[in-house]
Amino acid sequence: MDKFKILIVDDENDFRETIIKRLRARKIDIEGADCGPKALEMVDAQDFDVIVLDVKMPGMDGIETLRQIKLKKPLVEVIMLTGHASVESGIQGMQLGAFDYVMKPVALDDLMDKLRQAYERRVIQLEYNK
Amino acid sequence: MEKKSHTSPLLNLFHDLGGNLAVYGTALGLVILAVPLGLRAGPMYALAAGLLAALSLVTVGRVLRQKDTALRQKELSDEQLLQSQKLASIGELSAGIAHEINNPLAIIRQEAEWLLQLYKKDSPPDAQETQSGLAEIVNQVDRAREITHNLLNFARRSQPVVQGVELNRIILDMTSLVEKAAQQKNINLVKRLAPDLPLIESDAPLLRQVILNLLNNAIQATGKGGTITVVSEAADHRQVMVQVNDTGVGIPKEHLSQIFDPFFTTKPQGKGTGLGLSICHGIIERLGGKIIVTSVEGQGSSFVIRLPQALDRRGR
Repeated sequence: MDKFKILIVDDENDFRETIIKRLRARKIDIEGADCGPKALEMVDAQDFDVIVLDVKMPGMDGIETLRQIKLKKPLVEVIMLTGHASVESGIQGMQLGAFDYVMKPVALDDLMDKLRQAYERRVIQLEYNK
Repeated sequence: MEKKSHTSPLLNLFHDLGGNLAVYGTALGLVILAVPLGLRAGPMYALAAGLLAALSLVTVGRVLRQKDTALRQKELSDEQLLQSQKLASIGELSAGIAHEINNPLAIIRQEAEWLLQLYKKDSPPDAQETQSGLAEIVNQVDRAREITHNLLNFARRSQPVVQGVELNRIILDMTSLVEKAAQQKNINLVKRLAPDLPLIESDAPLLRQVILNLLNNAIQATGKGGTITVVSEAADHRQVMVQVNDTGVGIPKEHLSQIFDPFFTTKPQGKGTGLGLSICHGIIERLGGKIIVTSVEGQGSSFVIRLPQALDRRGR
């Protein structure tokens, strides 16, 4: 697989660190952020290909973070993580340009699949915008 | 019209000749026939006949040119009609926007004036009163922001990104997002997905948005104990079909033709922007497909989407 760079944003430390550990074991370049503002800082500083973003976070929630990310870097693909199915946030996220939704608990292979598709989309987008 | 006026009359005649050979041929034949016939009767007759024939040639030319002009004018007025129809729909759209934005503005103004009033008094105003006023202002700004945001999305015509899309997978993902909401209303969510559905070339996030929107609408329309059925099927002409059917309240006949219009909503003010289905319609058209609705009031609605299996790599 091509080398691509992922950021995972989730306030649940255990969940975030486990995902990072497991994806790094698969030789994937992944970083973590524990809140929206931190994620935005990192997006400013580095170029991520795909961002996995928890919908429900204290302070700045996932939808607001998504909005801000898309303002900064419109071509970054974002996969939303949701603990419980929330239709409202689903529709909002899609309208704001999220690539997909993944429900927790998530099977790693499932997430990998979606990451790959999101990355493929980003590559196509970057080609269009050359 | 302008193009013609630049060319010489001679060229003009040649151009006409090409287009109307039969008419000019007859007129020219008359000239050729008239002169020798006239010569038999005498040179004066020949001259008169020749003149007459030439006159007929000129007249034919003029009539034909007038016909052409009339045709072009008709084309022009057709174009103008289209333009004015476009303008009318823009007018409708702006009326909708104005209405939707004016309401929050009115509330904001009232609250702000009330706060000003409070601060005019000598004693410091009641903290709770001030707070609730400010909170309402924030609320209304959010409402207006949502409207403008939706509009921007509506206007944004970014190219669809074409990838291989597993439609059934998208349907399953989106139904799992609404499953909980359906359970809460005790709605039966039935999936009848064709197992051999071909992979299609389309834009996955856009399709997710459409299907989620339709599912959400179906849940809102369906009462407790109702059923929502999602169907996927391969269709003819290398197309695939997705259906979202519900046993909900249905759509009155008089609303059916407006259902995809921007800002058309039957929800109470502030509850819906009336953009959901018009966005869906726009997306499906961009993906080269069609979305249609059938509904019987009191029995339920059915939204049918047809999508091509293959799309230009660059979308449309």
